[in-house]
Amino acid sequence: MSLPAELPYRHGKPLLPSLMARLRLLNPYTLVVGSVFTLLALPLVATLFYALATRWGASLTPDGLTIKWFIELWATPRFLAAFGRSILIAVSALILSLILIVPVVFLAHTRYPRLDNLMNGLILLPFAVPPIVSSVGLLQLYAGGPLPIVGTPWILIPTYFTIVLPFMYRALANSLRALDVASLMEAAQLLGASPLKAFFLVVLPNIRIGIQIAVFLAFSFLAGEFVFANMLVGTRFETLQVYLNNIRGASGHFTSALVITLFVFTLLLTWLGNRQPATEGQPVDEADDTLSGTDLTAPIHNVTPDADSRGTR
Amino acid sequence: MMPPRLKRWITSPVMWLLPFAIIFGAFQIAPLVWVMISAFKTPDGWGLAHFHEIATSAFFRQAIGRSLEISFMSSVLGLAIAAVTCHSMHRCGPRLTRAMIAFTNMTSNFAGVPLAFAFIILMGANGMLTLMLERIGIIDDFNLYSRTGLIVIYTWFQIPLGILLLYPAFGTLQSEWREAASLLGAGRVAYWKHIGLPVLWPSLAGTLTVLFANAMGAYATVYALVNTSYNLMTIRIANLVSGDLFLQPELASALALVLVVILVIVTLIQQWLMRRSYHVTSR
Amino acid sequence: MLATDTSSSALAIQRDDTQREGGLLTSALRERAADQHYLKLSGLAKSFGSTRVFSEIDADIARGEFITLLGPSGCGKSTLLRAIAGLNNVDAGQIIVNGHDITHLPPQRRGIGMVFQHYALFPNMRVVDNVAFGLRMKKVQPEERERRVNEILRLVELTDHAQRFPHQLSGGQRQRVALARALVVEPQILLLDEPLSALDARIRRHLRDQIRDIQKSLGLTTLFVTHDQEEALLLSDRIFLMHQGRILQQGNAEALYTRPVDATAAGFMGHYNLIGRELAQPLLGYLSDGPRVALRPEALYLQPDSSLYGLQDSQVNFPTQALPSNSGPACPGVIRRHQLLGNIVRYEVDCQGLRLNIDVLNRSSRQLLPTHLRVQVYADLDEVQALADIPAASPTAKQAS
Repeated sequence: MSLPAELPYRHGKPLLPSLMARLRLLNPYTLVVGSVFTLLALPLVATLFYALATRWGASLTPDGLTIKWFIELWATPRFLAAFGRSILIAVSALILSLILIVPVVFLAHTRYPRLDNLMNGLILLPFAVPPIVSSVGLLQLYAGGPLPIVGTPWILIPTYFTIVLPFMYRALANSLRALDVASLMEAAQLLGASPLKAFFLVVLPNIRIGIQIAVFLAFSFLAGEFVFANMLVGTRFETLQVYLNNIRGASGHFTSALVITLFVFTLLLTWLGNRQPATEGQPVDEADDTLSGTDLTAPIHNVTPDADSRGTR
Repeated sequence: MMPPRLKRWITSPVMWLLPFAIIFGAFQIAPLVWVMISAFKTPDGWGLAHFHEIATSAFFRQAIGRSLEISFMSSVLGLAIAAVTCHSMHRCGPRLTRAMIAFTNMTSNFAGVPLAFAFIILMGANGMLTLMLERIGIIDDFNLYSRTGLIVIYTWFQIPLGILLLYPAFGTLQSEWREAASLLGAGRVAYWKHIGLPVLWPSLAGTLTVLFANAMGAYATVYALVNTSYNLMTIRIANLVSGDLFLQPELASALALVLVVILVIVTLIQQWLMRRSYHVTSR
Repeated sequence: MLATDTSSSALAIQRDDTQREGGLLTSALRERAADQHYLKLSGLAKSFGSTRVFSEIDADIARGEFITLLGPSGCGKSTLLRAIAGLNNVDAGQIIVNGHDITHLPPQRRGIGMVFQHYALFPNMRVVDNVAFGLRMKKVQPEERERRVNEILRLVELTDHAQRFPHQLSGGQRQRVALARALVVEPQILLLDEPLSALDARIRRHLRDQIRDIQKSLGLTTLFVTHDQEEALLLSDRIFLMHQGRILQQGNAEALYTRPVDATAAGFMGHYNLIGRELAQPLLGYLSDGPRVALRPEALYLQPDSSLYGLQDSQVNFPTQALPSNSGPACPGVIRRHQLLGNIVRYEVDCQGLRLNIDVLNRSSRQLLPTHLRVQVYADLDEVQALADIPAASPTAKQAS
């Protein structure tokens, strides 16, 4: 039986149903969530308005609305170049990451279960060590020596691999676990497939959605990366975030349009990542993983509220 | 024809782990190890000279102090707001809750430079909110580039992260516990004191640690906001390796190591506190 | 078995206190009257939006009675229990305990103990602290608290587990902790919300007996919610059968089992055969009064068709069942299948266009009647229930699940 959430200690005369409904809207819990929602939305809404304003001096309302800032932005070659570089770097880093991570996560879930424990420890490193600390080491290690790649995009690609590793590994591990990949491999091999064939024909198609989610999440994460891009490469290979930082002197409306564009781009990626094909049910089984509090790595993108805790147990 | 031993070696599964190990080692572990080593490298050999400099310099001490202060304030505030929000999310309609989760996911990605710009537009000297609040008379002089301003913006990006981390934990609070407690004579305050908070305590402590680490390591937002004019640990570290003046990478390493050690200590304290609290095996 | 010497327990003493004061005859009478109407529910109603959960709930419960609210899930029984506890408010009506109107009191001040289906133990507290919680809230002195907690833990046989956390206990042990936690504060009324349904069968039986023993020894007024008719029949002084938010029938186990008031009640209790009166005529030999007839499966008798008996395989050694003194006419039928229910075999027999459930004591597996066997069916006319209600939803005696 599912009962609507009710204030536990409210005891009064019965109220008219319509009045009850109106009171529900005003209940303190709704108010709290609504306020925090508003609080979080404020900077975004302000920026959006600013990006759409013709001119906005020291007054409360803009003089008029326009999309000329967006048009101007999209006609700026430097912006387009930065956009292209960001995408290039992110895509390269993601391809590298997939090539490196997929075999590891696969072997950890078939042949070497202890590898999974090791990996779960290792993937905490990119979280525990702030990027600024890593970049101190990276700057010194790769400024000269046998591999002088500081200042080139080549240092960003493997570095980005390290920071998307936690997302990717956890997302892939979750989908492999949901698949019970060990039995699947055994079944495929009993039916005559070589391990490699079994992997490409059976496992890979089944974790495609897991990979898709991981890739898009990582992409949106990389699109917002600034510290490494600025510290290791800077203006020599200007990405979107670095570009945004470098044009701080430009018109506020113009930068606002850029901020909104970035946000929408990220949104689009997240949406693409979470979009589920209508025909396939995607097992999202991360609730337990995110309980510990120290585990940042499993983003809870598909959390649905526990509608009926009585019934599900 | 390949010799069979070589062939076996190349096709062995361990080979597939090698590229991962190399790249991860070179770009994650090696920089960290380098920082740890070079922090002790002094012009005349090895020693603690850099740490001594950090400890005696008022400038560095200020950076550490301000980093700790802003991180602590913003993570406590962020945690409190996130906790109240998560509690409310479990009590309000499912549609609002779903919208809130989607929205927190969106905003948790909105950080760094764009966030700083959005805040300048909202709360800068001529920001919309600043003007509005000044008109109403709630504030008379708000400075986004000050300690308070940084705490506000840090808190803003801590809230979504806190919500995402805490939301599942609040789901483990069963309404029957509150009901059972009320039948046994406990009011709202007694319930939270004896049951709600103790049950949530591990998650709250864990989340606080993550938020604190998140704030201590934050660089992009504050860099975009104040460039190097506000004295924080991450700003100092960055300035020592990529600033316009003379570079001191060893000193940067030492300061970076101090930062890492602070994070490790905080994590250890949290683990120690958790060990003292009750532990529930997964239900 | 449970230790029965609880006369020394604080709970029993408290009960004596209330009885001792009856010095005058009048007050004694008044008290007895109060005891008869210890818990009074009048006109209770509750809706969520346009959905009625329960309405027109009237009941009079005596002190020390064990009442079971029985009904299918969704019948409103749990919500009614929660309303009595104060966990849900009611839209109309009154709840009166021992002469005090508690309808609008918050749960903390009702003096009602409750045991939840999923235990609702506080996971952060050891068994002792869970049990002591209510006493702490009442600011009972530590020594007194310890004494009472130990006593109640002895009563539920959990003394050895006092220092464990809930997650270290089995389901049955957890529910005993929950019971102890509810009992230790000496509630005026104990509410049990399907306390056994999360447990496995063996533990369930044991705990069921334990609950009944404790309830009797403490003389505690108890309301027990269940959807399991066997539990209800075994435990209760009286059963309130609930259906669609109303109390359909109330009475003791015997009355509910043998004299259902209508088709719904008959459908829920036992596995009644519900038959329209015209269809029942060949079985009964007369046209019944009510529009329907209810016949329990054990009130029908089976005999292999004598004309075929000799032709059957010799291994079918079905003894002729002694027919009741007042049996109806023989009705030819065919066995469709049987279910073995332990000591009972339930045959489904097609008989004159009816499908009847017929229970026969399972004496020996060699006496099982094969499918397709032709039989004669007899009804015990003394057990025929004519139902005087409007045709109910369920057309045949399907098992209530």
